Amino acid sequence: MPDKHLSSQFDSDLNSLCSKLLEMGGMVESQTSTAMRAFTEMDLEICNQVIEREKAVNDFEIEVDSACTEIIARRQPTARDLRLVMAVSKAITNLERAGDEAERVAKRTKRIIESGLNHNINVAEIKLSGQMAISLLRRSLDAFARLDTIAAAEVVKEDKQIDEEFRAFVRKLIVYMMEDPSLITTGLDMLTIAKAIERIGDHSKNIAEFVIYIVKGADVRHLPHADLVREVYR
Amino acid sequence: MRTVFNANQNQEAQILTDTLIDNLTETNSFILTNALEIKNLNFFYGSYQGLKNINLNIQEQKVTAFIGPSGCGKSTLLRSINRMYDLYPGQRAEGEILFYGENILAPKQDLNLLRSRIGMVFQKPTPFPMSIYENIAFGVRLYEKLSKAEMDERVEWALKKAALWGEAKDKLKQSGLSLSGGQQQRLCIARGVAVKPAVLLLDEPTSALDPISTGKIEELINELKNEYTIAIVTHNMQQAARVSDFTAYMYLGELVEFGKTDEIFIKPKRKETEDYITGRFG
Amino acid sequence: MNQVNHINQAVFAVRKRTNAIGLFLSMAAMTLGMLFLLWILSILFIKGFSAINWAMFTASTPAPGSEGGGLANAIVGSMMLIGCCTLISTPIGVLAGLYLAEYGDRSKVAGITRFVTDIMLSAPSIVIGLFVYALVVAQVRHFSGWAGTIALALIAIPVVVRTTENMLQLVPGSLREAAYALGTPKWKVAFWITLRAAKSGVITGILLALARISGETAPLLFTALNNQFFSTNMNAPMANLPVVIFQFAMSPYDNWVSLAWGGSLLITFAVLGLNILARVVFREKVQG
Repeated sequence: MPDKHLSSQFDSDLNSLCSKLLEMGGMVESQTSTAMRAFTEMDLEICNQVIEREKAVNDFEIEVDSACTEIIARRQPTARDLRLVMAVSKAITNLERAGDEAERVAKRTKRIIESGLNHNINVAEIKLSGQMAISLLRRSLDAFARLDTIAAAEVVKEDKQIDEEFRAFVRKLIVYMMEDPSLITTGLDMLTIAKAIERIGDHSKNIAEFVIYIVKGADVRHLPHADLVREVYR
Repeated sequence: MRTVFNANQNQEAQILTDTLIDNLTETNSFILTNALEIKNLNFFYGSYQGLKNINLNIQEQKVTAFIGPSGCGKSTLLRSINRMYDLYPGQRAEGEILFYGENILAPKQDLNLLRSRIGMVFQKPTPFPMSIYENIAFGVRLYEKLSKAEMDERVEWALKKAALWGEAKDKLKQSGLSLSGGQQQRLCIARGVAVKPAVLLLDEPTSALDPISTGKIEELINELKNEYTIAIVTHNMQQAARVSDFTAYMYLGELVEFGKTDEIFIKPKRKETEDYITGRFG
Repeated sequence: MNQVNHINQAVFAVRKRTNAIGLFLSMAAMTLGMLFLLWILSILFIKGFSAINWAMFTASTPAPGSEGGGLANAIVGSMMLIGCCTLISTPIGVLAGLYLAEYGDRSKVAGITRFVTDIMLSAPSIVIGLFVYALVVAQVRHFSGWAGTIALALIAIPVVVRTTENMLQLVPGSLREAAYALGTPKWKVAFWITLRAAKSGVITGILLALARISGETAPLLFTALNNQFFSTNMNAPMANLPVVIFQFAMSPYDNWVSLAWGGSLLITFAVLGLNILARVVFREKVQG
């Protein structure tokens, strides 16, 4: 984390901001993990857990945004401090949305269970991309904690794999639904679940991009990967 | 092409003008030239070296700010530009400062003429012991011959430029010392602007003033930069961030980093610069 | 008060007592000084008041033995001498002071000037009188008002030089720098800015020099001497108050002694007036 300011209060404010971000990240990671378990085991109880805990994630977003605003008002941060506060403010939004996606997974799983319909679709891709999404989220938060741009660049690259899995699953789902129209209702819910996981991957990618912004000062969103890597090694 | 000199200048100034215009490159007016080019400037207070090998360009019609901790040499640099150090024996400068191409550190440079082209406003407001009108007319009379009507006009113009006309127009005959601190400083700015210099040097102009006066003067700087080149020394970093187009960070007599203000304050290139502006000092 | 328990009461009490003693001693000293001043003034007033009448300002000094008379010629003579002296010493003193303060930082001439000024400041006035006697009076073989003026100027100029220089040095350097920064040449900075800023201080110095020479007797003894009759001819001996007082005070004639007291009262109040004026002028500068 940043080395010391003349004002120790400023140091402690920034540290506290980062800690809160990581705590929120941990919470979202846990939500995602729990939601995936609910889906894999088709357990209604676990689904409800996820849905209840979502409120805490939203509260966190408000708390951290407020802390960011206070720091800007009081300290007029510049350079790296400014980039850090801007990045945290945006990363929080990504985390909150990721939390929403995890809740969506749980809600759709719950609907599948409660509908009582047949859900004999091979969901290997979903399980796989679920694991990848959780891993990516963890690694992006890790990169943030250590301000490690190289690890962040890796996260950005690997998000593409989740996108691949998603597309593969969509192709498979179309085949399933064409063969057995009774599966369509369940199929659509599963599509939503797969999309939600793909989005969680995207949010992790954004967080990683912010890490590069903090350290290098370069805004690498929407850049082709080669250019991003160049910024990292500049 | 902006006129650097007024029509009523004396012979010397006219010759200087011609030489300068000859020296300027043949570019169109959209490409900004450097008003001042500082090359390899070294400054000595006796045997102590106050400035070490400074190289930087000050663009015309832009505001360049100098920041840095106390004793870093920013005021020394500013005062070298209008050769104020010449007043004090034992202080000397080596190197070159090109003012529109002419080296002003040359021994044959006419100091009084130079200072009428490069004005300075100091930290402490120093109105002359005369009426407000006279304060402004004094500088103008040194180098121009104006009729009473023209002088009245010039005084009004200068006071309007300094955003002081509204408050002062009914008390032009009163002593300059009867104004408040913020008003006195604006009077000093009006005085500096009245002689229509090419460059205005501001040495911590708002350090001694309250926030409202400071705000008014910063607004003034924003308007003045459309016609004048401004160099400002300030120990208030946020002020430098607010008013300047370019910022130079100095430390212990050296120029550490110089660049566009946005870059310096969002993404500085040197760690020393970042440490200073974020308040991380060892 | 009862929370402040780190204060040692004994130490505090001693300090209070010391303060009271110090205050008492200073007030006592001041009273003593004021006492003598008031005593002098009251004696002057009592003895001199009776001589103040219309005749004192209209009649000339009486011949030995004659009655009445006044101090008209002496008053006019003094005013002329002081006036001419001011006209000479003000420009010389102010310009010399200006030179010393603004140009005289390193030069040898400045150092010598300061040295000479210091000596002249403390030179006995009778020596100055004798000097002018030898230089002027002995050469032209008669006493004159001009010789008196020169002698008084030699006393007044060092005072003006010293006060002007001091007042100019009090002008802050930042004011000069502001003038230089406009491109003002050095002599203009000195004359139009620095001198103007120190204006009231310089005027105060001139007034104090005037007050000093108003009462000088010794130099006039050998130069302007005295004149029994009314005369405005500066080329001849000139009547003046100090010498008249000198002559009349120890004489056996009552009207002479009375006139001497009257003259003393006049001089004293003139000097007092000049001092007060100087202070008022100076205070205006500080506030203005």
